[in-house]
Amino acid sequence: MIRRTQFPGLIAVLAVSLSSLTLGAVQAEGSPQAGPRSGKPNILLIVADDLGYSDLGSYGGEINTSVLDGLAQQGVRFTDFYVSPTCSVTRSMLLSGTDNHIAGLGNMGELNAPNQMGQPGYEGVLNQRVVTVASLLRDHGYHTYMAGKWHLGLKPDQIPHARGFERDFSLLVGGGSHFADGWNLEWQIPKAPYTEDGHPVERLPKDFYSSKAYTDKTIQFIDEGRGDGKPFFAYMAFTAPHGPLHVPNDWLRRYKNRYDEGWDGIRNQRLERMRELGIVEEDVNAADRLYFLPRSTTFAPAARVMQGRKMELYAAMVEYMDDQIGRVFNYLKEIGEYDNTVVIFISDNGAEGNDLRAMVAGQLGTLGFLHAMNNFAEDGHNSLGRKGTYAEYGPLWAQVSMAPFRIYKGWTSEGGIRSPLIVSGPGVQGAGKLNKQAILHVMDIVPTLLELAGVQHPSTYKGREVTPMQGKSWVGMLEGRTQSPRTSDDWLGWELFGNRAIRQGDWKISWLYQPLGTGGWQLFNLAQDPGEENDLSAEFPEKETELIALWDQYVATNGVVIGDRSPFEGAKKALPDRVPDFDNYPPVRGMEAIPYAKLKELMAGENKEDR
Amino acid sequence: MRQANGTTRSLASLVIAAIIVSFGVPALATDDGARAYWSARAGTNAFSFQYLRWDIDATGSLQFDPGAYIYPGADTEASVFVLSWARHLTLFNRASSLAVNLVGGNVDVDFNSGLVPAPFLPGGVLPGATLSQSSSGYADPNVQLVVNLVGTPPLESNVDLLNYEPSWTVDAAVMLAVPIGEYDADKLVNLGLNRWYGRLALPIKYHFGVFSPGYMSSFELTPSVWLFAENDDFVGQKLDNDPLWQLEAHLTHDFTRGFFGSLDALYRGGFQSEINSTEVGDELDIGNVGFTLNFQITGNVTMRTGYSSNVFGDDNLDNSILRMQFVYAWNRDSENAKKLQEGH
Repeated sequence: MIRRTQFPGLIAVLAVSLSSLTLGAVQAEGSPQAGPRSGKPNILLIVADDLGYSDLGSYGGEINTSVLDGLAQQGVRFTDFYVSPTCSVTRSMLLSGTDNHIAGLGNMGELNAPNQMGQPGYEGVLNQRVVTVASLLRDHGYHTYMAGKWHLGLKPDQIPHARGFERDFSLLVGGGSHFADGWNLEWQIPKAPYTEDGHPVERLPKDFYSSKAYTDKTIQFIDEGRGDGKPFFAYMAFTAPHGPLHVPNDWLRRYKNRYDEGWDGIRNQRLERMRELGIVEEDVNAADRLYFLPRSTTFAPAARVMQGRKMELYAAMVEYMDDQIGRVFNYLKEIGEYDNTVVIFISDNGAEGNDLRAMVAGQLGTLGFLHAMNNFAEDGHNSLGRKGTYAEYGPLWAQVSMAPFRIYKGWTSEGGIRSPLIVSGPGVQGAGKLNKQAILHVMDIVPTLLELAGVQHPSTYKGREVTPMQGKSWVGMLEGRTQSPRTSDDWLGWELFGNRAIRQGDWKISWLYQPLGTGGWQLFNLAQDPGEENDLSAEFPEKETELIALWDQYVATNGVVIGDRSPFEGAKKALPDRVPDFDNYPPVRGMEAIPYAKLKELMAGENKEDR
Repeated sequence: MRQANGTTRSLASLVIAAIIVSFGVPALATDDGARAYWSARAGTNAFSFQYLRWDIDATGSLQFDPGAYIYPGADTEASVFVLSWARHLTLFNRASSLAVNLVGGNVDVDFNSGLVPAPFLPGGVLPGATLSQSSSGYADPNVQLVVNLVGTPPLESNVDLLNYEPSWTVDAAVMLAVPIGEYDADKLVNLGLNRWYGRLALPIKYHFGVFSPGYMSSFELTPSVWLFAENDDFVGQKLDNDPLWQLEAHLTHDFTRGFFGSLDALYRGGFQSEINSTEVGDELDIGNVGFTLNFQITGNVTMRTGYSSNVFGDDNLDNSILRMQFVYAWNRDSENAKKLQEGH
């Protein structure tokens, strides 16, 4: 239950916000403010890493996410919340409230194209043109804590402690082992660098496991900071379920054999639950299985078990994270702060369907290969998920996680940029409600949090100019005064690795590299076709032209530089040719109808007469 | 298609790896060996050729069983081969195996006949003389059936293998030897025992570490009892033996995917001899400690070598055993998968 008496309401916060308008810039220059809480809510911002759209139970998933599902019951879920196709890019917008091409992550720092090097907005780190929400909240009387993945810069002036977090326990890079061995994904920095309160962490404890460690630290920071009456802003940036799929030993078999059925069946079950929950329409036009992926029914049972094991690990990782989030909630309840805490839960991008392990490991004879040999060469079926392994669940399962959308992380199709969003806490109206009207963006979170805290975004910060936010506050919507912070004229834009998109209302134009795209613009109506399967550009050329004009505006406003190299430029050669797809070709001769159990018997050598 | 191809490769590897089985050969006076009772997929066959070299120097002990070749003052050298075929199957809805073992070789024994009671000396041999005897040919073949009792479900398919992550397992093993081996009633030294005998064993394993090639470890304990019928023509006498109690232990560990080692221990006791219903000699009391190294040479072939020697028990009975074993294992699916992989 929300105890409204603890929080005077968002209108009161708005009043505080208005009263501080003229002070904002000046206060930002000054030292951190301490003082009474003035009714400001705590803020708990939780980000999962590579979590798929439909993985949570409250979004149709079969994974046990009872804590987040409970949060959804207390708060509001949103169907049309957008992030960027990859993590650091999203995080730059999440903390700055403006477009990634302005905030310094026009491209992922690791993948800047030659013509992007040195360009403003392509620094590869969160640049000084923006001020973080943490800095602003800290300056306005909040304790600011971070535990988890940063991925926005490694240098002393780029790390969380320098960008507004009083206390932090941070993984500075994009990912690596979730265990104490702490290897980094990139061979260039073999050990993943962590900082604690701005200082390098020399060695991780032996029992380190990412999700638990980040939870422990979050609780520790809140516990050590409470008592002075200041509210807190805690940013929990989990690295789960980003690959490598690592799971504590006693959770390894939590989903044993749950996914042996195969990806098609699980995806269909998810779509059915999504219909029941109202996440998708009854007649949803879901994306087809990616053309280069096989039907799960064509795989032998053992192959399904092997593929299913990866999804088992992923599911266990997600549930473990959910369980840890529950620990934080329980702690907040114990200290009486839960009802005064606004909780926002998102994922940073679409589920990971790319073969990152292969990209990291490189070719025989390379340093990447050497790095892989030293750290994650083991791949035995029963070893996966443990230290020394690097399991990923691949495109087969990523398309399940992103049901009903098309493709996955890295692409600007809906499968790369749609994320679950749950908001709960004081002042949030409509417990258990599903909002399908609002089109929201990760850039909106900073203006929302600032408004909740009564903080004005400054035009300068510590003597430097900072760019204005592009996001729109959700406060009016959360209070139930509006359905969406955006009007029908508002639009959103994306560009990463050369893939690009614009959404305005139900319409979206999309440009994707071949063969997953056409290498040209396509037009989709997302209300009718969330799977982006039916290109309407020939039918509605004027709409396409209109949206392309918005794209040009997006490029100009944000200084977008389309890279002259892209990780996806070779996709056409790497993937098989895309051929026309016919519903019943090749003919399957009733194989689809063979029950899984029967198939298992056949493959075991029984019923030989049936072969 | 990287995923799909990767799965196919991994699957084939799994099938091949899963048939690399070692199995024990119950032979008197030696142990079954490390990982002798590990289960494999039903339908897996294995041929094993094992060479054993015994050196026994019995200065004071007195045992009257040719199978053990322990005589007072005897210096025994034996070279024995064991040719085996085993097949893994499902019985009583449990993982099981059936093995047939053909044993043969050569044994040479030098006695100080002064320590051998006169009634058992061959005709014409005077007490106090040095006597040399040998035997060569086939010993008694045996058949062993192993059925899991706890911890191992039927391993009928690759799916079953993939889902198999044992912790505690308990098997029941029954062996029966058929007395058709080389036997000459006028000699003290024979390869055959001229009597039916068998063994009941209860192999117990605890698997720890990750049950994945390269990471597997186990502690294995096999209590067993050998039971012997009467030899009604032991140099013209009747020879009976009490049960022989045996406790075998192994601590095994994978060093790499294709290489494991084991610390081995074997204790044997009991086996009191009675000749014409009169107890003769001592009970057996001998404990060996040794090691085993097991290498996977190819997808189908493994080689094992090991050595053990007595370090506790009866001081008067020195013995050492050197073992070399080759196992060729296969099953239909793995062979077919290889054909497909190799493009034939």
